Amino acid sequence: MDTFILIGITGIGLGALYFLVASGLSLIYGLMGVLNFAHGSFLSVGAFVGYWVASQLGPDVNMPDFILAMIVGGLAAGGFALLIEQLLITRLYDRHIDQALVTVGVSLVVGAVLGGWFGNDLIMFPTPLWFLTAVNIGGAMIPADRIVYIATAVLLLIANWALLKFTRIGLIIRAGVENRNMVNALGINVRRAFSTVFFLGGFAAGVGGVLVSVYSNGVSPLIAGSYLIYGFIVVVIGGMGSVPGSFLAAMLIGVIRQFANYYVTGLGDFVVVILLAGVLLIRPQGLLGKVRA
Amino acid sequence: MLRWKYSRPLLALLLIVLAIAPMFTSLPLGKPGLQQTMAVAFIWGALALTYDLLFGFTGLLSFGHALYFATGVYVSCILINNEIVSWWLAAIIATVASGLLAALVGAASLRTTGITFAMVTLAFGEAGHVIVGRNFFNLTGGENGIALNADFVPQFWIGVFNTKFIYWTALLALIITYLVIWWVTESSAGRVFAALRDNEQRVQVLGLDTQRFKLLSFVISGTLAGMLGFVMLIAAGSAAPRFAESTVTIALLLMVVIGGAVTRWGAVLGGIFYSFASTRMQDLTQNDSLESIPEWIAGPIAEPALLLGLIFIFIVMFAPGGLSGAYYRLRMKALARKHS
Amino acid sequence: MNALSVKDLHVKINESHILHGVTFEVPTNKVTALLGRNGVGKSTTLRTIMGFYEGTGSVELNGKQILGMQTHKIVQSGVAFVPEDREVFASLTVKENLSLAARSKDSADAYKFVYDLFPELDTRAAQQAGSLSGGQQQMVAIARALLNKNEILLVDEPTKGLAPKLVTEVAEALTKVAQHSTMLLVEQNLALVKRVAQHVIVMDQGRVVYQGGPENLNDDSWVHQMLGVSGGHK
Repeated sequence: MDTFILIGITGIGLGALYFLVASGLSLIYGLMGVLNFAHGSFLSVGAFVGYWVASQLGPDVNMPDFILAMIVGGLAAGGFALLIEQLLITRLYDRHIDQALVTVGVSLVVGAVLGGWFGNDLIMFPTPLWFLTAVNIGGAMIPADRIVYIATAVLLLIANWALLKFTRIGLIIRAGVENRNMVNALGINVRRAFSTVFFLGGFAAGVGGVLVSVYSNGVSPLIAGSYLIYGFIVVVIGGMGSVPGSFLAAMLIGVIRQFANYYVTGLGDFVVVILLAGVLLIRPQGLLGKVRA
Repeated sequence: MLRWKYSRPLLALLLIVLAIAPMFTSLPLGKPGLQQTMAVAFIWGALALTYDLLFGFTGLLSFGHALYFATGVYVSCILINNEIVSWWLAAIIATVASGLLAALVGAASLRTTGITFAMVTLAFGEAGHVIVGRNFFNLTGGENGIALNADFVPQFWIGVFNTKFIYWTALLALIITYLVIWWVTESSAGRVFAALRDNEQRVQVLGLDTQRFKLLSFVISGTLAGMLGFVMLIAAGSAAPRFAESTVTIALLLMVVIGGAVTRWGAVLGGIFYSFASTRMQDLTQNDSLESIPEWIAGPIAEPALLLGLIFIFIVMFAPGGLSGAYYRLRMKALARKHS
Repeated sequence: MNALSVKDLHVKINESHILHGVTFEVPTNKVTALLGRNGVGKSTTLRTIMGFYEGTGSVELNGKQILGMQTHKIVQSGVAFVPEDREVFASLTVKENLSLAARSKDSADAYKFVYDLFPELDTRAAQQAGSLSGGQQQMVAIARALLNKNEILLVDEPTKGLAPKLVTEVAEALTKVAQHSTMLLVEQNLALVKRVAQHVIVMDQGRVVYQGGPENLNDDSWVHQMLGVSGGHK
């Protein structure tokens, strides 16, 4: 039973990481129709900036220091995302394939720059010592860092919900995801919402990047790639444009992957991919997605 | 009129030069090093062309093309190493297997379109990558792949001094691929592919079964990729998981866009250029000439992805037709001047 | 000056030449009906005025050229749009659909007018717009257009697909709205048109073939020749 709990909670912890990457991807695609391959770079930028902050704060890092590193990493990634959106994406308005291609280019460039500056090997990320301890939940010993991931993801989900529900920009985003043209037809420049969505997506990915570096035992430009792929899988299964859908799908995929890997090492990736293909063929709009107008 | 009247004769001349050059050991192409580089470049050029059929001509953005290439590599390697059939039969079986896989995956994936289609193909591609990487059934050799057993392969492909035969094989494969794709795109089926890319609804209105044509394009593309997989096996001497990575498909996408998605020779040029540039840049990093440049510039420059990524971004933003598109634009300007 | 002045408007969509030099005037503070058989380009005309399609020619809103402007700027200049098929936001509540549309802070008067017109929108404020009936969605679509100061209202087939009782309700609402505004109304329902319109434009094959008063609508042979229907509503 406690093995079951252990795998379940570590799976949810992994799902939390996927959600941090996927939430931004989902809104960016849902609102703007952009398949953002540069999202992995946002993760890397956040990870490396966060690493820099953490290493400046000394080899002994406490929780407030770590939180600061996460926030600064997130802001840097968000700022970078905004830059990309303003410089490149807006100039390719409504050329969706070209937008996707340009983000591929960005991911290559960022990967090369970071790899050139820091090398591709893992660099240890300074973390609070208690991350390495284990917490007893229902008889299972859960590594404490998983709790941090889950807490962060839940916080993000709530913040996202609040933004969408209670602010005007959130209203515009929700309407825009459903029917972009009609928002314009109400006299609202929906493109201003694009920048917000890109920034927020970048921020979430940046925070995710810091946490992923802890989970992976180090920062490296090479980690982002597989998280990007998983991010896409989560968004597609959860439903493009639906953040709750991404949350649900991320948890599901994290748990399924952990269980599959427990029984046969390496089976996890394969099962997830088959799940993706299955969902796409049976219910292409995903769990909570809408069929796009 | 858009084609320069000297382009075909010049191309034929170029081919002859490329074919004969390895026989003169004093020329650059007489050296095994360059021959190997060019052989790999030819394979990538041909592979880029197969991707061009899919993406540039039929408008199908697939992220899982590497799957069929890798299938060709691994199936032929496994068949040859285990002495199941002779090498040329292995090549044929690998090619057919890739085609069959493309037919199966295509039939499933093509029920979706656009971004969803891209994701499904990515999924299948990744599944393939996982299978070869994790050494399922102990067949695929895991992370390190499988080295090709040289005993079961004709001697003329083995050994450094026989590199020119690998070069010629690759060149031949490129020519065959080009001819097949030229024939397909010029045929009436090819016209339908182009129409599908531009406006699928109109093709449906004409009463044509768009699914069948898309699948045809998918299968032809996958089959040729499988054949090229066998050629790559010969050139590389081993089957490795890197041939199944999504980065391969992304590289093909880059090649096609840089070269120019709508033209055949553009895609080939893009592939050759990309492959050549990557290899040369990797050599450059081992070279001392970079020492004088400050570390923070030299580091990134050494990564091929930087320059290629920047070129790619530039082309997508400012020259969407790629190199061949730019060529035709210049040509039209020249023609306009001539006639005014 | 007329509220809307369209001159020689040509529009091509995917290589089909849809509008061939459309020219007409929409007088201020009156309801102008835009009539014609299906497919002659009425919706295309409205949508071009809204900036959804590109075209050549001239479209002037109270003297200001709006052809070529971005849609949201056109709307901010005072053009309100009630689209065919309503296009309300299904995942938003009724109240949210309305507040999204209201662009200025002091729209209290506008809201009052809208709730007087359609009391149901107030009672159903928290209901998801996707669960509303066709008629109720039409009310939302019209209400949305009334929440800002407008120079002209473009209304595209508001009674399409509605049951006769609802058609009457919408017609009554439009009549009330028409008293305060300039409206360009595309409608197939001739009874409604006869009730509200003071000015009529007829299109055929992408061109304007009649501009004038609504008197001819009572002449069945004229109606049959111009619109291909036998009077009454389709």
